[in-house]
Amino acid sequence: MSLSRTRPCLTLTQPTMDDELSDGPPSGLFFAGSDDEDEDVAMERPESPTGPTSGASSPPSLFIQDSDDDEPMEPIEHSPLPHKRKIIIPDDVLDEALELPSAGPSSRHSSSSRTLDEVSKKSASPTPKSKPSKKSDSRPPAKKRRISPPAASSTPLPFPPTYLGEILIPNAWSNVSGKGYIKCNDPIQIHRDEQVESKPGPSKSAANGKKGDGKKQMSLTAMLKPLPSKAKKKVKTDSIVRILNSRGTEFGRLPTDVSWWVAKLLDLGIVEFRGTMTDCPDKLTTGVSLFVTLQVYILASAFKSPTLNQTDDTRNTMFNEGQETLDEKTLRERKESVLKLFEVIELKPQAGANFRGPQAEEKVHEEALKRLAKRKVKTVTEIVGDNEEIEVDDAEDLSKNEIDTIYKRAQHNDRTMGLMEPADTFTLTLRGYQKQALLWMHSLESGKMDAREATSMHPLWSQYFFPEKPVMDGNAIDLTADDKPFYMNPYSGEMSLDFPKAERKCKGGILAYFFLYDVLVHTNLAFHALSSAEMGMGKTIMLSALIHTSPPSEEDADSTAAPGKSRQLKLNNAFRPAPQRKTKKSPSATLIVAPTSLLAQWSEELQRSSKPGTVKTLVWHGQNRLDLEAAIEDDRDDDKSIKVIITSYGVLASEHAKSEKAGSSRSLVFEIEWLRVVLDEAHSCKSRSSKTAKAVYALQARRRWAVTGTPIVNKLEDLYSLLKFLDFRPWSDFAFFRSFITLPFLARDPKAIEIVQVILESILLRREKNMRDTDGNKIVELPTKEVVVENLEFSPLERKIYDQIYISAKRDFERLNAKGLVSRNYTHILAMLMRLRRAVLHPSLVLTADDERALSSDGDGAVDVNDMIRRFAEAESASEGSSKNTFAEDVLANLADAEAEECPICLDVMETPMIIPGCMHQCCKDCILAHLATCEERHEESRCPTCSQGPIIASDLLEVVRRKKNPEISSSQASQPEVTLRRNDFMSSTKLQALVKNLHRLRDQDPCFRAVVFSQFTSFLDLIEVVLKRERFEQYRFDGSMDIKKKNAAVNGFREPSRKPKVLIISLKAGGVGLNLTTANHVFMMDCWWNAATENQAIDRVHRIGQDKTVYVKHFIIANTIEGRILQIQKRKTAIVKEAFRGTQAPGASTDPESIENLKIMFGDD
Amino acid sequence: MSLPKRIIKETERLVADPAPGITALPHEDNLRYFDVTIEGPGGSPFQHGIFKLELFLPEEYPMAPPKVRFLTKIYHPNIDKLGRICLDILKDKWSPALQIRTVLLSIQALLSAPNPDDPLATDVAKHYKENEADAQRVSQEWTQKYAN
Repeated sequence: MSLSRTRPCLTLTQPTMDDELSDGPPSGLFFAGSDDEDEDVAMERPESPTGPTSGASSPPSLFIQDSDDDEPMEPIEHSPLPHKRKIIIPDDVLDEALELPSAGPSSRHSSSSRTLDEVSKKSASPTPKSKPSKKSDSRPPAKKRRISPPAASSTPLPFPPTYLGEILIPNAWSNVSGKGYIKCNDPIQIHRDEQVESKPGPSKSAANGKKGDGKKQMSLTAMLKPLPSKAKKKVKTDSIVRILNSRGTEFGRLPTDVSWWVAKLLDLGIVEFRGTMTDCPDKLTTGVSLFVTLQVYILASAFKSPTLNQTDDTRNTMFNEGQETLDEKTLRERKESVLKLFEVIELKPQAGANFRGPQAEEKVHEEALKRLAKRKVKTVTEIVGDNEEIEVDDAEDLSKNEIDTIYKRAQHNDRTMGLMEPADTFTLTLRGYQKQALLWMHSLESGKMDAREATSMHPLWSQYFFPEKPVMDGNAIDLTADDKPFYMNPYSGEMSLDFPKAERKCKGGILAYFFLYDVLVHTNLAFHALSSAEMGMGKTIMLSALIHTSPPSEEDADSTAAPGKSRQLKLNNAFRPAPQRKTKKSPSATLIVAPTSLLAQWSEELQRSSKPGTVKTLVWHGQNRLDLEAAIEDDRDDDKSIKVIITSYGVLASEHAKSEKAGSSRSLVFEIEWLRVVLDEAHSCKSRSSKTAKAVYALQARRRWAVTGTPIVNKLEDLYSLLKFLDFRPWSDFAFFRSFITLPFLARDPKAIEIVQVILESILLRREKNMRDTDGNKIVELPTKEVVVENLEFSPLERKIYDQIYISAKRDFERLNAKGLVSRNYTHILAMLMRLRRAVLHPSLVLTADDERALSSDGDGAVDVNDMIRRFAEAESASEGSSKNTFAEDVLANLADAEAEECPICLDVMETPMIIPGCMHQCCKDCILAHLATCEERHEESRCPTCSQGPIIASDLLEVVRRKKNPEISSSQASQPEVTLRRNDFMSSTKLQALVKNLHRLRDQDPCFRAVVFSQFTSFLDLIEVVLKRERFEQYRFDGSMDIKKKNAAVNGFREPSRKPKVLIISLKAGGVGLNLTTANHVFMMDCWWNAATENQAIDRVHRIGQDKTVYVKHFIIANTIEGRILQIQKRKTAIVKEAFRGTQAPGASTDPESIENLKIMFGDD
Repeated sequence: MSLPKRIIKETERLVADPAPGITALPHEDNLRYFDVTIEGPGGSPFQHGIFKLELFLPEEYPMAPPKVRFLTKIYHPNIDKLGRICLDILKDKWSPALQIRTVLLSIQALLSAPNPDDPLATDVAKHYKENEADAQRVSQEWTQKYAN
């Protein structure tokens, strides 16, 4: 038999098939339709191999089984099936559905609103021709393509109910007894009661139970007796679907496994079922099985967006609150039932979401994605297993691939992208890649098609083709008709006739600057990105060029009301008259929002790149914030210059907070409609619920740009915030983003990544340092970077302090962990970790006030030698010359030229001699301090090792500081004494000493070195400052507490040429981004941050365009402390960040398994 | 555990420039352990005697004093039968600026100047206090008997 090859003619609902099969022979009857082989098979076969038959695969097995029964096949003949078979449609696409013929009296599905009368009338007409439309001619009789042409939806023409497929329901059941209700091949009506009142679905289970019996009995009597009965349904619980004969009399019901979704579809009014009684006994008895064939016609209403009538705002709010609203529920049910319908009629997507295409390429691609998702898991496991090195390697390999995967689309045309010359008011020369970027940005702004010609289908949608309807006898088959596609979003259940373009409606995009690292051992690659400022990748320059080159277009001027992007007015603003200016003038000014530290830089850069007078910038920050309106409005008429307002996130957030307060007037910055808003370091607003983010969302703008190095910091949802700002629909809807990206991603659905790819393709321009331009040259050539991790050992005292803190923290953690309370006490644990991280840096960062003396010193502790000599001389004359003081005088007088002396304790040459003030004996600093510590430990009085004079107080000791005798410098420093004494009133630490040592070494090699020192703790910066002061290094400081002027002064001072060495100490968070510090080429990282990306971003303040020397980076790590474990976590985290493939990265939860896992690493045993 | 630079230096200097009447040689298998000899100072009852001592540098040295003990029997109010020495710099008056050499010189000086007021061997001290000449005679006898 060729049956096996034929497609299933009939589609059964799954549960039904099972039932039937178990029943044996009888079931065969219904499949017997396959006897039509002679005709159909011939035509179908050619199609079957290529067709989207995958879905059909399961049904065939049924046939095979059934076909074995010769006998059962006979009955087929009277079944209506033979008709159906005759028409075969050339479209393989459609085939599954095609074959089913319906003799089909088109029974209007009885939507709830219909009256029975109507229903019966319609159903009486034997043919499905129901609606006149342009298509109508072709469709009713059976032309397969009666689908409205693609244009239909866009034109006002009504969309006729269109054939989608056919279902055979073998286990419908009769609820009447008697003859005359129905005959085989009679049209039937499928009826839903109006959802007025609810009645418990009485006998669902009974129905199922009976169906088997009914079949066997096959009584003939049932057919004639109509038994109309009306049951009322409740939306949720009631899914009764009645079967009526052409007279409108109920004689049966659909089984519950079918009726639940049929009922919903009917209720929604998006589908129409036209039924035929395929087989039934002549006489019905209650509970007897009925074989019903339903043809499914989709109605125009299905292609209306089910959500259109609801306001976005409502939905957003509801979604965000995490509750399923009524609307939501309706949507979900609609989606479920539509999907079920498609499954049952075996309609397969031909492209797009859920499509598993045959093309090898596609497959490979998908498999790659899948593998990615899978491998991820593996990596994670390995990490948990604590197998550090191996796992890291894995992660590296993976991440490169993964990044490529994610960005492949976004970049794939980049090399060939055209160039665009900036406007002539722009004075600088752009590099090739910058011109590309300009073209890209300009085309996005001007609303032209994306320079990349993104015509991808919207990632959430799938393409389907309308199946041909089985043709009735004698109708020609139209082989020439085109397949008529339609589209469905399997995630929402929405359907459309229009091609759902992955369209960007926002004007703007994301400029991402990615820098691949392969140098840094523990951070290795990745994702981080630096958005670099002017000297970096030139993003400032690019945006400046854009500002010059892309002035307000006519469209901008025309539309007085803000287009889609204007924000909904807040209720309290809605009644306030909008400022007139808004309606009069089209937006022309650009607002740049940047971290405070970069405001000045932006301003300078904009000016530098512009012809004088063409651009007016205003830094809207600090005290002079009131000028905003004036700056934009006043001279507008006569002044052609471009207005650029530069402000900070902080200002924006506080303005927004002010506006939110009831009664206060809305801040101007949110009233003005900007031509363009640029977010620099846009990841600043990555948390969508932060004040900053909300403020940013509240801005009104025609064009929006987000510039960031890290569009994804460590969660896919980081991206959401940017999309929200860009108003990139539908992704700016959090519910969408979450259900289509976050959740699938967590489920390791490769689709999630594909969606991200498509999103990024249309709105993200990615540049990384090692990308190549059209000529194959690296777009950025940077000198090499050498990273060294210097492992240090604690001094015994530090070790003691640290261990004490660590042990108690560990105990705490283990106690909480044992009780499963870790997540609840997360903050507490983080605080403990913080303490540990401080203890690594300097004991006094964790010690309490009594030990704070070390910090109290002001001044550099310098003591003038001549002063000392004078004092001793005076003492001498007063006391008539004691030998002791003579000795002291000698010591002091000879300090300058004394050859290096031997320390009485270590017998070595004193490296940093300390003078004991009472007797002027000297020891090494380390030795004398160790001696004092020993004495203290033994509770003995500390005395001079040499003469036993005492007691000695550590902070009174005087350190002898000799300047290097550098002939070049000595002249310029002639005024400075060569030897100075310094009070030992500062307690150093291992890290500080290491820093000082390194700086000294640097100074020896390069007397005018420039170094940058990063720490994340400003309290540690304080200590560094003290120590540098003591060491007399010229230093500058940059941290978040400084106002913008001070920051600028610090940076400028540091950059200023000088022949002296300079050190800039920066707080990692304040200075990690944006700054340009290429004057330095030495970087010291005093501590490590959880996220290597942040560190690398900091390092790239120095290692960026403009740097012409090798950059030396030194990380100080104390061995056997929490720092090693942070590095371990960094590796994990880098892996996550890179492609964000992590399944366990629960969105928004601070206590997700990942974090707890990290904590376990922290407190784990080595 | 490597030997601190200081101990190496001291050892070198002891060998290269020994103090008069004193020798100190480290054991080959333990460089912190020294065999020491001290000549009895002239003009003392211990003159002409060669006294053997052992000296050990503890881990904490030089923050802690060395441990020193006479191996040769000696009749001295500040040195007991076990050879233990009562000397302040070996106890609370220790200073890290002191060295092996200075310690041994101090011990040599102690032989010249017994201090019966701060005795370790109480019977010897009593003897010295009550009849110094007779006590010195015994010391001399012991020196001839044991320290040759």
